[in-house]
Amino acid sequence: MKKMIYNSAVIAISAILILSSCTKNSTDVVTIIQKTDSLKVNFSSATAFTFFSFKNDALVANSDSATVNWDFGLRFTTFILNSHTYGPANAGAILQNSIYSSVTVAPDAGYAYDTTSAQKAIKDGSWYDYNVVTHAFAPKAGQTFFFRTADNFYVKMELLAVDYEPFVGPAPVRLIYRFRYTYQSNGTKNF
Amino acid sequence: MRKGSKNIIVTITTAAFILLQFSVFSQKKFNDTSIIQEVVVTATRTEKSIGDIPVPIQVISKKFIQQTGSQKLIDILQQQTGLVLADNPLGQALQGYPNPFGSGIQLQGLDPAYTLILLDGEPLTGRNAGILNLGRIAVGNIQQIEIIKGPATSLYGSDALAGVINIITEKPKDNIASIQVHRASNNTWGFTSNNTIKKNKTVLQLFANRYSSSGYDLDKTVYGKTVDPYRNYSFAVKLFYDINARTQLQSSARIFTQKQFNNYLVYTGSQPGTVDGSTDESDWSLNNQLSHRFSKKVKLVSRLYVTGYQDNATVFLQKNDSLFDKSFLHQFLLKPEWQFELGEKQNEQFITGLGYNYEAIDASRYAAEKRFNSFYIFSQKEWHPVTHLNITLGARLDKNSLYKAQFNPKLAIAFKPLQKLTLIASVGSGFKAPDFRQQFLYFTNSLVGYTLLGASELNNGLLQLKQQGQIDASVDITPYLTDHTLLPERSVGTNIGFRLKPGNNTMINSGVFRNDIINLIDRYNLPFTKTNNQSIYSYANVNRVFTQGFDFSISQKLLDVFTLNAGYQYLEAKDKDVIERIRENKIVKRDPVTFTSTYVSSSEYGGLFNRSKHSANLQLMYSNKQHWLNGSIRAVYRGRFGYSDINGDNILDDDREYVKGYLLLNSSVSIAFKNGLQLQTGSDNILNHLDKDKLPNLSGRTFFVNCNLNLQKFFAKNKNNIQL
Repeated sequence: MKKMIYNSAVIAISAILILSSCTKNSTDVVTIIQKTDSLKVNFSSATAFTFFSFKNDALVANSDSATVNWDFGLRFTTFILNSHTYGPANAGAILQNSIYSSVTVAPDAGYAYDTTSAQKAIKDGSWYDYNVVTHAFAPKAGQTFFFRTADNFYVKMELLAVDYEPFVGPAPVRLIYRFRYTYQSNGTKNF
Repeated sequence: MRKGSKNIIVTITTAAFILLQFSVFSQKKFNDTSIIQEVVVTATRTEKSIGDIPVPIQVISKKFIQQTGSQKLIDILQQQTGLVLADNPLGQALQGYPNPFGSGIQLQGLDPAYTLILLDGEPLTGRNAGILNLGRIAVGNIQQIEIIKGPATSLYGSDALAGVINIITEKPKDNIASIQVHRASNNTWGFTSNNTIKKNKTVLQLFANRYSSSGYDLDKTVYGKTVDPYRNYSFAVKLFYDINARTQLQSSARIFTQKQFNNYLVYTGSQPGTVDGSTDESDWSLNNQLSHRFSKKVKLVSRLYVTGYQDNATVFLQKNDSLFDKSFLHQFLLKPEWQFELGEKQNEQFITGLGYNYEAIDASRYAAEKRFNSFYIFSQKEWHPVTHLNITLGARLDKNSLYKAQFNPKLAIAFKPLQKLTLIASVGSGFKAPDFRQQFLYFTNSLVGYTLLGASELNNGLLQLKQQGQIDASVDITPYLTDHTLLPERSVGTNIGFRLKPGNNTMINSGVFRNDIINLIDRYNLPFTKTNNQSIYSYANVNRVFTQGFDFSISQKLLDVFTLNAGYQYLEAKDKDVIERIRENKIVKRDPVTFTSTYVSSSEYGGLFNRSKHSANLQLMYSNKQHWLNGSIRAVYRGRFGYSDINGDNILDDDREYVKGYLLLNSSVSIAFKNGLQLQTGSDNILNHLDKDKLPNLSGRTFFVNCNLNLQKFFAKNKNNIQL
């Protein structure tokens, strides 16, 4: 467990480095927003979803859950999208086996919705491996998430790490998700 | 270390005290120690000289066990070539919690669950997630331990994929009365009493052992000990009675009971609290064997074996004494068996037998008690078509109520081109029945909320979850209500090697091995979740793996007083599907620091986790010419091995995913007196190798003192008449 905390620190530092370098890059390409970000969620499937907007690169308040202001929500290891069961928008997602940096075009079709609460576009357990030795939820490498956002733009995203926030005692309190994404603000599917 | 030095003082004081009490200083002779041809039973189910066995076999003698001074079977086993101490693949417990899994012996690169463990030829039950707690077996009355490498299913049935470890207890020829007191670090005490009474045709043997330890704590910053304090008792009674020249009766009863005192930190809601309680583990067995020789050519051995195992763990919150957690595992086995031995000549024997198993198992994480039956028949024939060539063909058929019949043949050949050289080759198949957990688990994690269902419970569980509204009404579960019967895991193993005895003082063993395993059972999750968004997991036959390598061992007597043993094993163990997916460029890794993703190459793949490519041992044993002074220095090396994935591809392919190799150095010295007293002292893990996170089962440097007393010699009237 100590090792995990140590790793978290290493990852956090490197994430900051990448974040700063990516921010520089994003000024070069005007239409594309490239971000490396992180968000914290409770280690519990009983609490509220945490909502995120790609366009604003920001968390969205829970009171806005019925609006089109958010793209995806996250609770423990469960992703929801702003469409059908969970929201008024038309967001969809595809989980594809590919290397994030080498895919340059989002798929034309096949974006899945959360048709019911039990059949979600991003299936729980599909994107990570639970490690029985370290108890880590490790995002599978070589998987790229494609989103059609609430406002009909296209995003490619990669989950980089899911770490436990440092904790005392046997039960973790929060998970820290680290991810990078590219938001194509000109409306095309090209990155 | 401060604790260590305190222990040294204690041990020295104890030793000095004992020395004062027994001031008579003289000598005692040990058994002859030249490298002799032992007789073994495990390889063929009949007594046979080791030189004639056509499969790889290793024997640990009583003398070796005594010379190590160890009270722990697992420590004795891991000093043998190719026997590697491995943690359960399910990993370790969260910090502070007691480790529920423990460690076992990995043989030919297969997990501990794939080696059958026998006590006097009968299987021990009560495996927790595949691991049998070897601490249940006291070492004080072990005559020898026989280790067969390679599948032995053709004789022993399920679980014997990697091989068999048969622990054989003493069958003394003479009266014995001895006691032993063992004192070691971590406040460890061992008391052993071993008595044999021989009268006419009857031999009665009584064995008792008490062993206790305060455990140890590798991480003071975490509440609770790494290993909690425990104490255990073993009792065994054995009766040998020669009814007549042709008929022998052998009856034994055994009981083991252990209490471990648990005390650790838990969180209820977000409030920390401490719990205390105990884990009570016990087993008992009755083993009756009647052998009758009808004629020179026909012998029948009838056996009736009954055994039970109980494990109950209960902990209470300390602040209000309310029950916090309770779990149990109960198991029962009844096994009658008949074995015919036909043929006059030892080396032309035909053995055939049949048996029946009735098993019952119940556990807190299962839906209800499970009972099942199995029948089996086995046969084995030996031929000598030409001089110096022995061909052994055997097969066994197992029919269990839970899965389809399993047929497992084995062919073994031994060829002696020279008196000093035996070439051996064998190929055989093996199987392992799906374990109870994989079949019957019915468990919902209270902290996270996921559900684990054994394959046999899947349909039932899905229907119930749906009925309780835990699966959304819109989910159609009918496509998943199918036959989920798990197939047994199967293997084919090949062993080719030789035994060379160039002179009376040298013995060399070497061999190559390959095991191909199919239908390995692994966990998967169903494509829909529960209404709490948590997964439902079950088990299916998915993986294909292989293990291969070679081992080499040499035993050399030097200057009449030293014996040098050296051994080495090279091992490769890989998942065939992973190899294929790497070839197809389907596995991507993501560096945990740079977050760069790249395809994994074949050369980066390190194989299965928890396997050391290199492992070795070196032992220098000393026994002076009069045999009253003995000593040993023993080293065990375990090369680096994969611990856990860090780069998101769930396979071993990065240097940071390994645990560094380590060396354990052990030593002992003993002195025997003419009056029957023997004193022994030593230290294990002298280099104090520790890794609290990755090797929690390694306790650090320990010291011990053993005081053995042969009561007959001690109370003999004229000590000078005692035979040396």
